[in-house]
Amino acid sequence: MRLILPDREVRELPRDPAPVGTILLEAGINPLDVMVSRNGKLITDDTILGADDEIRVIRISHGG
Amino acid sequence: MAADPEHVPAGTPSCSLCPEPAVIFQRDRNRHLCSTHLTSDIEERVAATMREQNPLVPGDCIAVGLSGGKDSTALLLLLHRILGARNDIRLVAITIDEGIAGYREETVRSADRLVATLGIEHYTISFMELFGDTLDGILKGREEQACSICGVLRKKALTTGAERAGATRLATGHNLDDEAQSVLMNVLRGDLARLTRNSSADSSGRFIPRIKPLMFIHEKEIATYLLLRGEWTDLPECPYVCHALRREVRVMLAGLEYEFPGTMLCLMENKKAVEELFSAHPCGEPIRHCTKCGDPCSGELCQLCHLGHSLRG
Repeated sequence: MRLILPDREVRELPRDPAPVGTILLEAGINPLDVMVSRNGKLITDDTILGADDEIRVIRISHGG
Repeated sequence: MAADPEHVPAGTPSCSLCPEPAVIFQRDRNRHLCSTHLTSDIEERVAATMREQNPLVPGDCIAVGLSGGKDSTALLLLLHRILGARNDIRLVAITIDEGIAGYREETVRSADRLVATLGIEHYTISFMELFGDTLDGILKGREEQACSICGVLRKKALTTGAERAGATRLATGHNLDDEAQSVLMNVLRGDLARLTRNSSADSSGRFIPRIKPLMFIHEKEIATYLLLRGEWTDLPECPYVCHALRREVRVMLAGLEYEFPGTMLCLMENKKAVEELFSAHPCGEPIRHCTKCGDPCSGELCQLCHLGHSLRG
């Protein structure tokens, strides 16, 4: 699966299906600090991602 | 429009209230919501908080502190939607331009766009106009005190804006994460007076009462709400934020909330219980008037006059 981070860095993760939250935590990101989309649609922390999925991580800026 | 179930990838949870795909998992409620139900859930919770905090009366004027960032943008959109049908309530926006180069210009532009779209009366107050300098100028050599100095100056600027607008309520965009962080920070600092203070309590006419309609809405819910309404903009964070204790508390509390959902709400419930416990025996100084400027305060001098002394000295 492919992870596109807020700074546009792309990470390829060769791994079995797993929940979004687990993948984010492994990347050092608290799932509460970001929103995640797949194919342009928002998905939840407990959505199970497949090997071919590509997700985009949207940073939530603090303050404001 | 309903999602075609054949095009919803396997492993995508559905809304707990309808068959649509969920856009958020509310971990502290253990439920999933789709875009429609999340939007209505947030609007209902904000309306309920307002009814509970300080019920509005005909003729009220609510001034929304609008920085142009995500929380205040969501607050103005929500209040505009919730109060839009009420002709007896006036809604205005107050924007404070502190003068933070490379940061505030963008959020002020965002605020200008929003009020123009919604047709809302808008007052902009700058630190330069009120205090004769920008925040960047005031903070030279004192950057580590940025948040405490800015907090005092912003409070004065917001109050000035609300008074100019003739406001009877001052609404700020503090969300659940902000409020829970403040509770924990007050505990860590041993600041019992702040911990037990209820900012939305009756002010007896001495100052404009504050309301915080988003105080039970998670930061992530607010960001998701904005994205769903097509109002999400990735704006920069304040460059001074790195100096604050809040940053450390935020990271710690977000970690706890993810691992133990409901932690933030528990902190808020504890704060409310402590407030009630101390309501008959306030532990802070009683409210009186600053001997120098006459503003309401809890000591001889208000925070602004006290700050003026230390900046000159």
